[in-house]
Formats: sequence, C-alpha cells, structure tokens
Amino acid sequence: MSSILIRGGRVIDPTNGINAVQDLVVRDGRIAAPVAGEPHAETFDASGCVVMAGGIDMHTHIGGGKVNLARMLMAEDHRDGANPIALPDNLLELASCGNCAPGTLSTGYRYVEMGYTAAFEPAMVPSNARHAHMEMGDVPVLDHGAYVMLGNDELFLQLLAEGGPDAKNFSQLRDYTAWTIQASKAMGVKVVNPGGISAFKFNQRKLDVNEQHVHWQVTPRQVLHTLARALKELGVPHPLHIHGSNLGVAGNIRSTLETIEALEGLPAHLTHIQFHAYGTEGPKKFSSAAQQIAEAVNANPQISIDIGQVMFGQTVTASGDTMRQYAQSDLANPRKWVGADIEGMAGCGVVPFRYREQSYVNALQWVIGLEIFLLVNNPWQVVLTTDHPNGGPFTSYPHLIRLLMDRSFREEQLAKLHPDVVSQCALRSITRELTLDEIAVMTRSGPAKLLGLPDRGQLGVGAAADIAIYREQADREAMFRVPERVFKDGVLVAKHGTLTATPVGGTHFVEPGYDTAIEKTLRKHWGDHGAIHFDNVAITHDELCSCCNGGRLLPAECFTGSAA
Amino acid sequence: MTTSSAAASVWTCPFCPLSCDHLGVRVGSGDEPLALKGGHCERASLALGHFASLPRAASPEVDGKPASLDAALTAAATLLSASRQPLFAGLGSDVAGTRALYPLACATGAIWDSSGGDALVQGLRALQDRGQFTTTLAEVRTRADLIVFVGGLPSAVAPLIGARLGIGDTQVPQRHVVVVGPTDGDQATLAGWAGAGVTVESIALQGDLFDTLSLLCALVAQRPLADAPAALRALAERLLAARYAVLVGAPPRLPAQGALIVEAVHQTVGHLNRKTRAAALWIGGGNGAATANQVFAWLSGLPVRSRAGPRGLEHEPLRFGATRLLADGAVDALLWVASFDAQSAPPATTLPLVVLGHPALAAHCRRPSAVFIPVSTPGIGSAGHVFRTDGTVLMPLHALRPDGLPSVADIAKRLLQELPNRSAA
Repeated sequence: MSSILIRGGRVIDPTNGINAVQDLVVRDGRIAAPVAGEPHAETFDASGCVVMAGGIDMHTHIGGGKVNLARMLMAEDHRDGANPIALPDNLLELASCGNCAPGTLSTGYRYVEMGYTAAFEPAMVPSNARHAHMEMGDVPVLDHGAYVMLGNDELFLQLLAEGGPDAKNFSQLRDYTAWTIQASKAMGVKVVNPGGISAFKFNQRKLDVNEQHVHWQVTPRQVLHTLARALKELGVPHPLHIHGSNLGVAGNIRSTLETIEALEGLPAHLTHIQFHAYGTEGPKKFSSAAQQIAEAVNANPQISIDIGQVMFGQTVTASGDTMRQYAQSDLANPRKWVGADIEGMAGCGVVPFRYREQSYVNALQWVIGLEIFLLVNNPWQVVLTTDHPNGGPFTSYPHLIRLLMDRSFREEQLAKLHPDVVSQCALRSITRELTLDEIAVMTRSGPAKLLGLPDRGQLGVGAAADIAIYREQADREAMFRVPERVFKDGVLVAKHGTLTATPVGGTHFVEPGYDTAIEKTLRKHWGDHGAIHFDNVAITHDELCSCCNGGRLLPAECFTGSAA
Repeated sequence: MTTSSAAASVWTCPFCPLSCDHLGVRVGSGDEPLALKGGHCERASLALGHFASLPRAASPEVDGKPASLDAALTAAATLLSASRQPLFAGLGSDVAGTRALYPLACATGAIWDSSGGDALVQGLRALQDRGQFTTTLAEVRTRADLIVFVGGLPSAVAPLIGARLGIGDTQVPQRHVVVVGPTDGDQATLAGWAGAGVTVESIALQGDLFDTLSLLCALVAQRPLADAPAALRALAERLLAARYAVLVGAPPRLPAQGALIVEAVHQTVGHLNRKTRAAALWIGGGNGAATANQVFAWLSGLPVRSRAGPRGLEHEPLRFGATRLLADGAVDALLWVASFDAQSAPPATTLPLVVLGHPALAAHCRRPSAVFIPVSTPGIGSAGHVFRTDGTVLMPLHALRPDGLPSVADIAKRLLQELPNRSAA
C-alpha cells in the first residue's frame, strides 16, 4: 500500500513522551514504523513545523435538539447584518453558516481547518439520541460520540428513592445505566445539575448538593455517587461527566467542592468548571474561586476537568440545565430564550449571551477560566474547552491557546477588561506560560486518555493517522488557526486551512454489559409513563450506521475486571 | 436500503404529527388496501387506504407518458438545470430524503419550503423573535393537571391527541381540560373525555382568538382588568393554581398572523413560570414538514424558506413562501416532494414540474414539462425517520411491506449526479 512520509517535523506526542524532530510514516490510515528504503507515494517536508495528533474536543455542543433550537433561535447569527452569508469558494463545501450556532456542515469544516479530528457532544437526551446521532453524522470528517444524560429522568430518581440511603437496588440502577448507554449508543454518561432538571419540573428553583429533591426526596449527592459507581463497575472508560449544581451562581464553589466530596474518591470529569468556580467575596459578592478549584483538582488525581473558557462577544448558551437557564434567562442578549421539559427525562434551555469585556462579571469569568488553566499542576487533568458555544464558539480556540502560551499577550488582553477585575485578579501575578507539550496534552492526548481511545490522541506506531501539522510561529494564535496539513485516518483533509477531502467520520460508543432482567422494569415504565413504544427506543448498530451517514462504527472497549 | 431499529411488530404511523406507534396495520392480499388495526384513527385509516397490500408496479412518467427511471431522471435533471430559480416544495420526506435534497438545493440554488409552510413559519417566527417554552407528549401525559387547547381541538390535525396527552389515563389522578374557542365537534369530543379523573370545560372566544389570548395573558400576569369576562378570569386563576399547565395549539389551524397568537401563548407560559410551572405544546409539522425544517436547519443553519442563492445563504420567512413565490411568478420550476400523502398534489402551476411522490400523484403530472417519479413511502414501503410534533423525538419508521420503489434519497442523489455542468447552462 502507498504510504506518506512526514519528514523532519518536531513531533509532539505526550502520550509516548516524545518531543523530538523525527520522521513520521503513515500507511493504511495508521502510523507505521519506517522501513529503510521504502518508497513513499507522498512526502511532506515538515521542517519548521510541529506535528501533533489531531485535536479532540471532548465537550462541544455540536448536535441534537437544543443545538438545532439554538440555530433556529439565532437567526441573526446566520446573516451578515442585512446581507446573507456568502457561499463557500471551495467546491468541496456545501453552503452552511453560523458562528455561535453553526450548521453541522460548517461545524465540521471549521474544526478540521484548525486541525481537530474528533468532537464529542456532551448532552445527548436519551429520547433525542437518534436526532443527535443524525446531526453528528452530518458533521463531516470528524469522528464523534456523545454522553447520554441520566440522573434527571424520573425512573432513575424513582429507583434511587426506592433503594433508600443504602442503595439496596444499586444493581438495578447500574443495569439501567448500562442499558441506557447501549440503547442510545453513547460514549459515556453526563449528569447535569443532578436531580435539578427534574426538580424544576416540580417547581423547585434551587437544589444544593445535599438538599432533597422536593418530590423524590433524594439528593444530588446520591445521584452523583450512584452514577459514578455504576460507570466504574461497568468499566465504562470515560468516568461520570458532571455538570454540577448551581451553575453560574455566586458562591457555587461550595457546591463544586461538595460534588467532589460526594464522589468519595470515585473518578469523574467535572465539565465547564469555570462556571462552577465562583466565590462571594469583594464588593460585588462575586469572586474567583480558581485557587480552591485548583487545589481540589491537584489533591484529587482521579478528577479531571474541562474549563468552559468564556470568550468575549456574541454567543448562545445551550444547556440541559433548565433550572439554571431559566434563572439566567432575564440576562438573555438578545432578549429571547428557549426552554423545554423533555419526556420525563431531561430538559433544555437555550439563552443567547453577549460576554462583554467591560462587564465585571464577564471579565471575571474570563479571568477565572484562565486562572484554573494555569493553576492546575497536571495538564492531564485539564481539557481545553469553551464548552462551545456556551463560553464562546470553538473557533476561538487558537486565540485561547495564545492566551495560555503567551503571558505578554494575556496581559494586553487583561488590560482591556473592567478595571476592578484588572486591579484585583490573581491572574496578573501568574507567570506560567503553557508549553506546546502541555497544549498537546490538553487538546488531544488528555481527552483521548479520558475517553478510553488508545489509538487516538497520540502518534505511536499503530495509532490512527489523525495528524495536524502546524508551522512554528511566535504568534501561537496564527500557528494554531491554520495548520499546514491535516490528515484524518491518513487522508489529507485540509491544506493551509482549505479542505481537500470530506470523508464521513466514525461514531465512538461503548457497549457495557448488563443483566437483561432490567428490561422488564423498563418496558413497564415506558408503557405507563412514556410516549413511545419500548421496542422503538433502542438504536441498533444498523440504524446507528444509517443515522451517522454510513460512517464507521467505533466501539470502544470497556475495562474488564473492574473493581466492584 | 437502510434498516431501522425495532422488531417488525412495531409500526410507527407516518401520517400525522403524533407519530403513534401503539397501533398496527393489517396487510391483506392483492389490491386490498392496508387497514389500521388495534384502534381507530380517521387520519391513519384514510391514508392507509391509499396503499394496496401488494404494491402495484408504478412507473415514472415524462410529459404524462411512462418512461424508464433513467429517462425520467435525465428529464428531471434537464428541467432543473434549465431553471434560473427553482422551488423545492412539499418536502414530504424523511431525514434521509431531506439530507439528500440539500446538496441538490445547493447545486440548483433552489428555495426550499415545506407543505404547510405558512403554519410552520408562524411558530418559527415567534421562536426567532421571542423564544418559547415547550413540553413533550410524555411530559404532558405524566404531569399536566391542566390542559388548555387554544383555538379549538386539533382533532383534524392529530385525531388521537387526547389519548397521546394521557387524557383519561391514570398518570395524573385529576385533570381539567379546557378548550378556548371550541369549534364544531369539540363539545362531543370533550364530553367523551369527561369522566373519572377528567373534568372538561369550553370557553367561548371574547372577540377573536388573539383578543381572547391577550386578555388571558394579562389576567395571568395579574394586571387589573375590571371588565374581563368571568370565564377567562377563572381560567387565569386555574392556570396560576395548576401544578403543571400545558397550553396546546395547532399552527395549521391558526389564522393569518398566527405568530402573534403563538407569542401570546408563550407570553402566558412565561408569566406562569415565574411562580408555578407551565409549558406550551404545538401540534403540527406533519407530512415531513417538521423533519424538513429540522434537517435543513442543521445542515445549513437555516430553516425552511431559505436558499443558497447568488448572494449567499438567505432566509426569508415571508418572501420565500411557496404559495407566494408561485403566485408572483418568482420561480420558474417546481420540485414537489410528497412521499407520504397520496392526496398531497402539487399546487396548480404551468411551470416545469418534477414530482417525487406517492404513485397516486402521477395523475397530477400528466402534462407537458412534467416529470413524475414514484417513490417509496417511509413507514409503509421502507424504513426511515421523522420528527414527532414536539421536536425532541425522532421516530423510527419501519417498512410494513417493501414496495420496490426508490426512496427520495436515492432519487435526489441520482439527480445531483445527473445535473449537467451548470456553468455551461
């Protein structure tokens, strides 16, 4: 088979501990060992370039019901003032527009142009799973997967209540969790405001970690612990993905620390942690708790986080957290928002936001995100995200990378912010500049490890040939904005920021085993409470394939022999 | 052919926005029409009656004469490529069909609008301007203690609405069902619902529907309105006292400027949610309209009534309405897609016409400059997916009995390949 030689680039592959100028050979879509004298169909001279695995965004709202609602809500995001968005020049691209609420096609094109080769939708509602997979299937090039939302469905809460404080029926909850992952073809499980979305349907407006759900009389703490334990016992590689309680509330650092405590040492991923890192100090009773977050993460190696960095400008927040989105809907800019209660399982809230540099709160949010990035010691515990589009669109990643790698640039930007934030923030005194190795960890190697994708996020022999080649430049934003070359499974998909091929991406999912006896309980529940026949709920492999546009199915291995 | 998930024993009805999957179909022999079993639904029965148990052979036609599929595709592609501004309308298809229509729309610069686009856009414009708070069928079934239908019952749009909202089941021990602005037949339906656990009420309009809802909204917002009619005053109090009130409306039944009515409902829901819990539910988007809107929106960023035109991606919720474009002579060719409904004939026009539809629609295409290609009906002859009315559930459709016809997706993909180089056109 023909092979490709990438010659003389600086290969940065933290998974394999490599940061060295060396050649890379690609054969049959995989990284291969060089063979002396082997002719290559193509050679790319990568001297002066940095060679990394393709980027992996493990938390980005790219597809499903709330994303499409955001598109429909944000008509102004889909025109250029009074003018339409120009059609693409590249014949490989179909017309697709949007900045904070881009079409799926545009989402794929823009990610690939930046050197990303995989993206994961973090909030798939079980009843909306087919839709989410359809949209992800229409994101060209990128591999994708999704975390299914549990912990606000009435059945889970009911079972939890029935099991009592000793969780007598834990195995039932574990089997239900596994069944839900199987049925929805998910890569993991996300819990959003544990119990809170359901509580909002019962008109509860706030729910602390150790507070009882007004109807089911269970606490978020129980929900968190049960789900985290279930995933560990099932051997699902990605631990519980947690959008914590009290998002956006001043003083929510307490909830975040209580969330970590509730896990009792079980592994978990705390997502968009920036939105959960607020204290109540200072004249405005709103302060950075980045230091406390960093200390907690540093002290708990089983915890990973992604940031959800806020970037200034117009965006739209799309979340499953109906309770908190409702509370923030009065801040909508433009002044409109969408919410929904969904199928006794979930909810959603879509609220447009414009983050402003001169807003004290927004400026502090920006500072807090950067502080957390820079205060956590181990980059393997931190993933670079803006929680697209909630903190800002993913297209701002190159700018974010420069903020992290270039202190003087960071200070220039900081100086533009609300003066009270500038004068008080700890960020001013943080001198750390992230290295290319650390950026590689936070944008590819780390996410691959956290998701259990051994052949992604690295460039060792046998790894998938998802490769991004960046020209070394002092301006890191320019460097990461337009890679020289991007390969997906060994196929050249972008050259100097222009797409050269648009293969269909694959779907990552896991299939944990479970005792099928649970289906009897589920069938009865669907009959009594559902609005869809139980036999219509689960997605088979064949159907997944048609949803995902014929892309490859990429089942990830579950751990075996896990501690029970 | 793609396969769908479930056991063949489950049938999902593709004919109305509710996508019911609790009924079955009796497949007989020969020309005997398909028949609903396990329950009664006028709309499903009527639609099933247009499908023979053993599908008859159906041939493409060009200018009213039978033609091979290849000849029909060539004729259709020629017709589309000669057009300076085609219109893709009807859009009665599933996700796969709509996905395949999009590249064709891009290649031809076509405007896309769905059948029932006027109704769909009422909701869409309200959403774009002010947003919404909605709920779903299972949520209503298990939670709603007060259900208020605005502008009459949507029985013609969705005959089984009562059952699908759980009216009469025991999930909620006591429900109150109200119709604001009842129309013919509603009283009888309401009377049928009344019984153990269900109380019913109908409230006449005060002025027109918009006037009535404006009054109700003001009352719910607890503004002092000395002259408000007692019935509306009582309804406002009920809404404020309910644990979970759901306001149900059907855009296909709304008058012109219905977006204002949709907004009034959403505003009422917004006031209620300040203190208690409430949501809206809209019944519509059947025959693939909601599916088309969703799929075009996720691919392009833009919902129905848009195009990838010479100036770029444009969305014009009023100007790009199919009826208006045809009446104004603003388009010069029509691609009509109607794979579900045997009665969804293309609008009367003398423009060059391509129809991808139920075999029975051939009769509407027997004239010069017309191409008819019979296509499979998802949920009858093939598998597929359509969105349910609440927008959150994408329902799998299963083949009842194969019909041997190509899908809309098959035809759209082939048409794209057949298009001559447009720069030479």
